[in-house]
Amino acid sequence: MRIEKCYFCSGPVYPGHGVMFVRNDCKNFRFCKSKCHRNFKRKRNPRKTRWTKAFRKASGKELTVDNSLEFEKRRNIPVKYNRQLWDKTVEAMKRVEEIKLKRQAKFIMNRLKKGKQLEKEEAIREVKKNIHLIKAPHAGKAKKLEEKMVQKLQEDVDMADGDI
Amino acid sequence: MGKSKQTGSHKKKNPGKLWKTKRRTKDLDQIHTDMKAETASKLLNQEVDFDVTGCAQHYCLHCARYFVDMKALKEHFKTKVHKKRLKELREEPYTQAEADRAAGMGSYIAPKVVEVKTQQVEEDMD
Repeated sequence: MRIEKCYFCSGPVYPGHGVMFVRNDCKNFRFCKSKCHRNFKRKRNPRKTRWTKAFRKASGKELTVDNSLEFEKRRNIPVKYNRQLWDKTVEAMKRVEEIKLKRQAKFIMNRLKKGKQLEKEEAIREVKKNIHLIKAPHAGKAKKLEEKMVQKLQEDVDMADGDI
Repeated sequence: MGKSKQTGSHKKKNPGKLWKTKRRTKDLDQIHTDMKAETASKLLNQEVDFDVTGCAQHYCLHCARYFVDMKALKEHFKTKVHKKRLKELREEPYTQAEADRAAGMGSYIAPKVVEVKTQQVEEDMD
């Protein structure tokens, strides 16, 4: 018995659950829930439907290429039961899952970091652009101008004195 | 999904009826198999069938539609529906294997781009 994957959203389809559609060219389509089935009937593209796993992978929202993703596979080779092998496999599965989750979480955190950086840059740009709302463009310059004027007048007066 | 793609007065028919398996139209991956040279030539040069629109003589391969005559077919090639369909077909069709990969069974492989062009029509057909 297998836990199949949904054609549309890639979620698990447990035995006895979901719907299977068999097209008139003998191709099977499994759906985990009626939502997926309905969307398939509407001929929606899972790559363009935002809530599917296919979309998230295609648009780089999730970890796409990694060795931890290579363990779970459809192996169509029967293996003779062996208790030791069974134990080992179960243990390995747990470990692989642990590593996979960690890497996926890290990937998402790294992805979000980029957004934070962009946000910061954008904020700085906005402040630079709209600084005149906080500080008047000629604020503080009036005093300087006045000082300059006074100095110049003084100079003029001095010059006039010298002439006489 | 975003914005509705409906333009003009082409009101959508009752969607419930359109989604019935009875009235099911071809899927994109089926059209991709149709586009292979052998099947394409078979579909484009069909025998006269009086039950089909235009006696099955004017078929648009990409939209999987029959037209009444050459004029209607040529007009169809200029429409938005057809152009949109060509654009959709430019990507490799989605498969169960891709769904499995997205679910964590293997690494992601980007879909290939397929070149799609409107079929050539013979001028001397009447």
